[in-house]
Amino acid sequence: MIINGRIAIVFIFIAAVVAAATRPQGQISTGTNTGSTAAIKLALPEFQPVGSDAKSTALAAVFNKTLWDDLDYAGPLALVSRSLYPLGKFSGPADIQPDAWTTPAVGAQFIAFGNVRVEGGKMFVEARLWDLKTTQNRETIGQRYNSVDNDDGARLIAHKFADAIIDAIGGVRGIAQTNIAFVCERTTGIKELCMMDYDGNSLQTMTGYKSIVMSPAFSPDGEKIAFASYRRGGPDIDILSRTDRRPYTFDRVGGTTSMPAWSPDGSKIAFATSRDGSDMEIYVADWNGKNLRRLTVNKGVDVSPVWNPKTGREIAFTSGRTGNAQIYIMDAEGTNVRRLFEDSGDAVNPAWSPDGQRIAFAWQRSRTSNFDIYIHELATGQNVQITHDAGNNEKPTWAPDGRHLAFESSRAGGRQIFSMILDGSRVRQLTNSGRNTGPAWSGFYK
Amino acid sequence: MTLSRTKTVGLLFLLVTTMVVAACSKRPAAAPTVPTPTVVNPPTPPPPAPTITLRAQPATIDRGAATSLQWEARNASSVSITPGLGDVPVNGNRSVNPASSVTYVATAMGPGGSASDSARVTVNTPAAPPAGETPTTRPSVNSTDLSQGVKDVLFDYDQSEIRSDQVSILMANANWLKQNPNVRFTIEGHCDDRGSEEYNLGLGDRRANAVKEFLQGQGIPGNRMSTVSYGEERPVCRTETEECFSMNRRAHFAEAR
Repeated sequence: MIINGRIAIVFIFIAAVVAAATRPQGQISTGTNTGSTAAIKLALPEFQPVGSDAKSTALAAVFNKTLWDDLDYAGPLALVSRSLYPLGKFSGPADIQPDAWTTPAVGAQFIAFGNVRVEGGKMFVEARLWDLKTTQNRETIGQRYNSVDNDDGARLIAHKFADAIIDAIGGVRGIAQTNIAFVCERTTGIKELCMMDYDGNSLQTMTGYKSIVMSPAFSPDGEKIAFASYRRGGPDIDILSRTDRRPYTFDRVGGTTSMPAWSPDGSKIAFATSRDGSDMEIYVADWNGKNLRRLTVNKGVDVSPVWNPKTGREIAFTSGRTGNAQIYIMDAEGTNVRRLFEDSGDAVNPAWSPDGQRIAFAWQRSRTSNFDIYIHELATGQNVQITHDAGNNEKPTWAPDGRHLAFESSRAGGRQIFSMILDGSRVRQLTNSGRNTGPAWSGFYK
Repeated sequence: MTLSRTKTVGLLFLLVTTMVVAACSKRPAAAPTVPTPTVVNPPTPPPPAPTITLRAQPATIDRGAATSLQWEARNASSVSITPGLGDVPVNGNRSVNPASSVTYVATAMGPGGSASDSARVTVNTPAAPPAGETPTTRPSVNSTDLSQGVKDVLFDYDQSEIRSDQVSILMANANWLKQNPNVRFTIEGHCDDRGSEEYNLGLGDRRANAVKEFLQGQGIPGNRMSTVSYGEERPVCRTETEECFSMNRRAHFAEAR
């Protein structure tokens, strides 16, 4: 009896040790800027098709699913379950009895509702957001949207309305209209530049080089994508317009050149090149490739530059100068090089958060472990592990809201692109076919 | 009571230790050692094969500074060192001051055969943005000839130094390239897919340049060759085994485009 009790205590202790060992090393705040600790409760009854034709019904379904997913994934809002809603269809203002939505059982603070109509090759959405806590000026948003009458159009309107809601009451900017550029491989050995909506829909292939493309990066205004390709022989830098895929000139650098990174004002591009004949070093040039300047000088590979997007005064990069790949920060002129943190293994793929306060990276802590995504807090020097026990996880890229990350992972076999909330929760697989790598999240569009 | 508490602590320690050991044992076993072939009663032993070691001390110098090459051969009747030193004593040292990074190769010849070793001297040069030189392209070689004349050079994990067991392959490649002076070629640096893609692009570049410098040291003009890194983009083998990884860590010679 006593022995059994002791064994139980031992096991409880061991369980505690294991729990402590597997717990993330720290906490990443994903809270909102609204001053409230609880998420805002939003009721979102389905938008109603006007008319009973199949097309209106189908497009309303696409719209409803997209809007729900956008708002649910955004972060600041808690969507009230539809099972708690009053009975009925809620298409216009006359259908809403505010008191029925603020009962303790429902508890909504806001409600978004409206309708979808298809007419003459276009679809029209009447969308409203009401503040249920007030009786005066209840309508926070009242907007009529239109687009072509297809699935892409329905998704586009849903993204616009979702962002309008987040912008209005979420305390942050919505990311539903942002894009992710990445490297897509449909035929083994041929890698093109692809782009999709932030949720994995509306996939576009941007190049037809039948070559190898790598390391895409959006310009800060989101209008251009710089990347590297082997289309002229050795890898060098290309720039395309996001909207019409028009190429911009970037003077050929020579050597092995890749990993372009835009300065936050969009005027310069840092990149890694071996054009001097030794090994890859960090250079910077104007965004047309002129006024080339070398920033690093040392033995060992220097790659993956990324600017502090807040100040533009520092560049983080990966260097093999000590033998292992580790992350360093230098001033944008190449001076004052310092190591981000001292630890074992290979730390690669630095990605600087939009507010300049964190660096996400991939870390293989020993040669036998996988790469996982970590976030380094610059103020505290703390590293927080974000992905756990799910294959290799690499190349984090920040959403412009600073609250979501996309990354590539082998967790589903091959390589695919995923997104998640900063604390590692809500992992979404965004790509499925072929092999997809190297995501780059756009900024907010103007 | 005290005793049993000690026992509990002891049991706890044992369990935790077991867990730690179990966690550590997840590591793959160390690389298998190569079995040494045993010769059974050789009637007349063949002349022993020569061995040679070559070292540069220091291995990294600033431009204009000198470094000392030291070599020691056994079972050798002659030793030569390239580039530049030619025939040298079987054991010795020599001060050199190369203007740029170079890999010295010492070859020992003896009744039992030959052996080579290499030592790389890295010369730090002041940073000067060089002119962007695009290699001129001219089709001049039947690629079948090149692919038959030269072989891939293999590298160790995360390394770009020329392996001592690859020196003889590179020397044979250099000889073939000297005998075919019209052949223009690209040295491709490749990696296995472990480590990050970006870092591997840099590593493949270092491998290609290490081979280029070796060949230049053997008298192959730099304007005959260009380099390109494919990082981990072009594996010859796609399974996750050490055998496969080792085949992918290579410098490959391709006809210049």
